[in-house]
Amino acid sequence: MDNLLSEGLSLLVFGMGFVFVFLTLLVISTNFMSKFVGKLFPEAPPVPKKKPVAAAAAAGNNQDELIAVMTAAVHKYRGK
Amino acid sequence: MEKLVQLWTASGIYNISGGQCIMILVGMVLLYLAIKKNFEPLLLVPIGFGGIMANIPEAGMAYSAVENAVHFAKPEVLSALAGALSITSLDPHDILHAYHSAGAVAHAAAVNIASDAGYMNGMMYNFYTVAIASGAAPLLIFMGVGAMTDFGPLLANPKTLFLGAAAQFGIFATIMGAVGLTALGIMDFNIQEAAAIGIIGGADGPTAIYVTTLLAPHLLGAIAVAAYSYMALVPLIQPPIMRALTTEAERKIAMKQLRHVSKTEKIMFPIVLLILVALLLPDAAPLLGMFCFGNLMRECGVVDRLSDTAQNALINIVTIFLGLSVGSKLSADKFLDFQTLGILALGIVAFGIGTACGVLMAKFMNKLAGGDSINPLIGSAGVSAVPMAARVSNKLGLEANPQNFLLMHAMGPNVAGVIGSAVAAGVMIKFVG
Repeated sequence: MDNLLSEGLSLLVFGMGFVFVFLTLLVISTNFMSKFVGKLFPEAPPVPKKKPVAAAAAAGNNQDELIAVMTAAVHKYRGK
Repeated sequence: MEKLVQLWTASGIYNISGGQCIMILVGMVLLYLAIKKNFEPLLLVPIGFGGIMANIPEAGMAYSAVENAVHFAKPEVLSALAGALSITSLDPHDILHAYHSAGAVAHAAAVNIASDAGYMNGMMYNFYTVAIASGAAPLLIFMGVGAMTDFGPLLANPKTLFLGAAAQFGIFATIMGAVGLTALGIMDFNIQEAAAIGIIGGADGPTAIYVTTLLAPHLLGAIAVAAYSYMALVPLIQPPIMRALTTEAERKIAMKQLRHVSKTEKIMFPIVLLILVALLLPDAAPLLGMFCFGNLMRECGVVDRLSDTAQNALINIVTIFLGLSVGSKLSADKFLDFQTLGILALGIVAFGIGTACGVLMAKFMNKLAGGDSINPLIGSAGVSAVPMAARVSNKLGLEANPQNFLLMHAMGPNVAGVIGSAVAAGVMIKFVG
């Protein structure tokens, strides 16, 4: 019985100790990695979102143009 | 008339034992909890239904070919089996006992005799062999979990990893509990069984199943049921402990917005973690390796199809087989045992201690840093149980201060808990496996 208890206790101490050591190392290496990545591969500044707006505007223009053409066509057809 | 008697003696009503009746009821209770109470339904529906199927008398769905042959006890098959296992007794119990302790050659001979006599492995026995005994299903699920996990909050605030570490104390304290109960003569667990019970405190289903399969496969049914039901109970178990250990002012602490995490950092993290595992704890490599692989598929952005399969279709398929296989271990002779009660009791203690340690660790880190940078409520999320535990932290935070959204902050310790419990699992496999 004592043997089992001491086995449990050593599992508690070593197991918990190891979990902490491992995660501490992970914290350190993660911090290091983040710094490293931040220096070597700085993220490109966010691209200004003008393009999609312009595209949408262009699409809008097209739409207007289309409507104008169609209206003209309909008028011409009715005018016959 | 003879045919009628034959039908009657082959019927379930004639053959059912009291234990099977009770286990079918247990299966029904699990189905009720899953369907009506919404307790982890994705797991408990297959487990409950599997439990019912495993206990259908005469069907032998959860038994191997030899066990089925012995059950039907045709004299000529029994004597052939006894011959192959080189025992003289024809008693079914003796034959089964000899079969389970037989060497590889005698084992194979017995299997051949049973299959020659026309007996086959039950369907669920096959599922168990392929999905769980091989270790495949829990690892594939872990890969899916990796593909679903966003390490962003953790990378933005890496020191929350300590909260995930502290919450693993529940695992080890429960091992001491199981060992202590044995020392007091109340229960009878050996160190492997104690370790398998402790892992319930990791609040991580696939890890619990993986460790139990390696350390104490006969307890799988009870441990899986306990782990998944308590995970469903997290919103009930945790809040009282969290309230008791924190003051109103501490619960109101607002945490500052997390920094932006770049894509490269997210891609690098699973690789850094894998290297660390490879260097320090190869025993955790199957679990954390699959986890990192899943996460890398998610973050690298060039294999979206694979990532999508891992976190949807594949994990669903594997969950069906995993659930049914766990259900196959819910047989009366293994589950209806005084030990099961002990496992259920110790499991809930494990959850409680883990929660408390996470919260206390957060308070300790605040003391150490001399400021109020961490809201102790997020400490409880260190027990994993993703994302339920983080939601609980968020809910309690909102109760104290309606403007305080802790969800993203709590996801950090939450995924740290997954890593922590996988590391704890590796340590236990190393020490007692």
